[in-house]
Amino acid sequence: MQAFLEYTLGGISVGMIYAAIALSLVLIWRGTRVLNYSQGGMAMFTTYVAWLVIRDTGNYWAGFAVALASGLVLGAVLERTVVRPTEGKSPLNSVIVTIGLLIFLEGLAGIIYGGQYRSFPAAFSVTGLKVGGVALGISRSDVFTAAAVLAAALVLAAVFRYTSVGLRLRATAFSPGVARLLGVRIGRVLTLGWALAGLFGALAGVLVTPSTFLYPNSMDSIFVLGFTAAVIGGLDSPAGAIAGGVLLGVVLSYAGGYLGSNLVLVYGLAVLALVLMIRPSGLFSAATARRV
Amino acid sequence: MADGAALAVEEIVAGYGGVLVLDGVSVSAKAATITAVLGANGAGKTTLLRAISGLVRPRQGRVLVGDANLARRKPEDIARAGVAHVPEGQGVITELTVEDNLRLGALSRRGGAGRSVALSDAYRRFPVLAERRRRAAGTLSGGERQILVIARALMAAPRVLLLDEPSLGLAPKMVAQVMGLVRQLRDERGLTVLLVEQNARSALGIADKGLVLNLGTVVAEDDAAALAADVGLRRHYLGF
Repeated sequence: MQAFLEYTLGGISVGMIYAAIALSLVLIWRGTRVLNYSQGGMAMFTTYVAWLVIRDTGNYWAGFAVALASGLVLGAVLERTVVRPTEGKSPLNSVIVTIGLLIFLEGLAGIIYGGQYRSFPAAFSVTGLKVGGVALGISRSDVFTAAAVLAAALVLAAVFRYTSVGLRLRATAFSPGVARLLGVRIGRVLTLGWALAGLFGALAGVLVTPSTFLYPNSMDSIFVLGFTAAVIGGLDSPAGAIAGGVLLGVVLSYAGGYLGSNLVLVYGLAVLALVLMIRPSGLFSAATARRV
Repeated sequence: MADGAALAVEEIVAGYGGVLVLDGVSVSAKAATITAVLGANGAGKTTLLRAISGLVRPRQGRVLVGDANLARRKPEDIARAGVAHVPEGQGVITELTVEDNLRLGALSRRGGAGRSVALSDAYRRFPVLAERRRRAAGTLSGGERQILVIARALMAAPRVLLLDEPSLGLAPKMVAQVMGLVRQLRDERGLTVLLVEQNARSALGIADKGLVLNLGTVVAEDDAAALAADVGLRRHYLGF
């Protein structure tokens, strides 16, 4: 029972990181049908920026804020410069461009910062919390991780639902052609989608890196699991991304805890295969209801 | 541009890839008039509307609305210049609620006040939409969807309305209702309407003028009543 509690809470906390990556992929996929393979590389890069700021100022929160801001800017700039020319072309073009971008970012990080593993600080204590003498298996830092992603996701949901910018984002996601005819400048909307994706990727980067160390490939396996979570959730549903992330985090936590941690990535694949067998379009996908 | 024209299309040439669909088409429509655009399948009716709204880039020619030449501008900019295009097959965003569809139509207006006035106007004019405002637009019937897309197009207070086959797939009673609505919009709002229709009889019934396209050129252009009375034209191109 004690172990079950620890695995559950730990799984939710890690799952929220997968959820943040999944959300960043969904934000781009919904609007443009582009799968951003460079998302992990972007998150790694913004985490290096945070690392520099924390090293030079000694202030964690300054680094945190700069990481999020640079994620926004990086997403917007990459969309405008590198991704925009692939719009309306064969989907293979954007696949090649975003994979190329990943290799470029990881190479650039290696040139600038070197390949060595660097430790990255956590926002709060990483020692396990106890309630009434019972260890919960998570730390204050884990609680912060889950809360930060949840808060960001709720803000995003409110923006989607209640603001005119959110209405433009949703309309462009569902039906870009109709949105244009109603005067929505979809170029700007797509740039905003990439900016928001950059923000959520950057958030995932600073939250996960305390437990992985920072190096040019540090986000690769997190990206794979975040991608898995996004597919589980249906790839075009923000709520599905969160649910997919938490589901994957919890299942992998049980698997690692009870079955041993050697095969965690394989278990992740098993979860993905199982979900896709039962619901091929993902748990939350609207694809079945879509009229094109 | 002809005197008093709210919309003037001058010698438009447009097509897809190597296929030329419009070969020098001109249309001139006065403010507060309905112009029926008629012709067989493949005559270029839909492409004419798409060339005006920017969904197809005209290769040559001008599209004048007011004093501005909108040819070769982006669809979103043309929409913002006061041209509302309601494409065939309706284009409601089924995943959004009725209200969000309507609000989307008003987003190109400046200022929140105008937007909320437009919304309450739409609900007053179309009570059926007010009843269903919180429902996903995908749950509406075909006739209700047609009303929704026209109502949504009006949210931006356009000067020119391009309607592509609004009667397609609707029951005869619904067709009459939609045609009545188009005429009402011309009279009350002074809208300039370009109405593309297969159903030539009902289109000429409400139109002021008509033009007949065949293989990408204008083969006839006259008052609606005169076109409807031309037996040869009817037999050749209009099928009634």
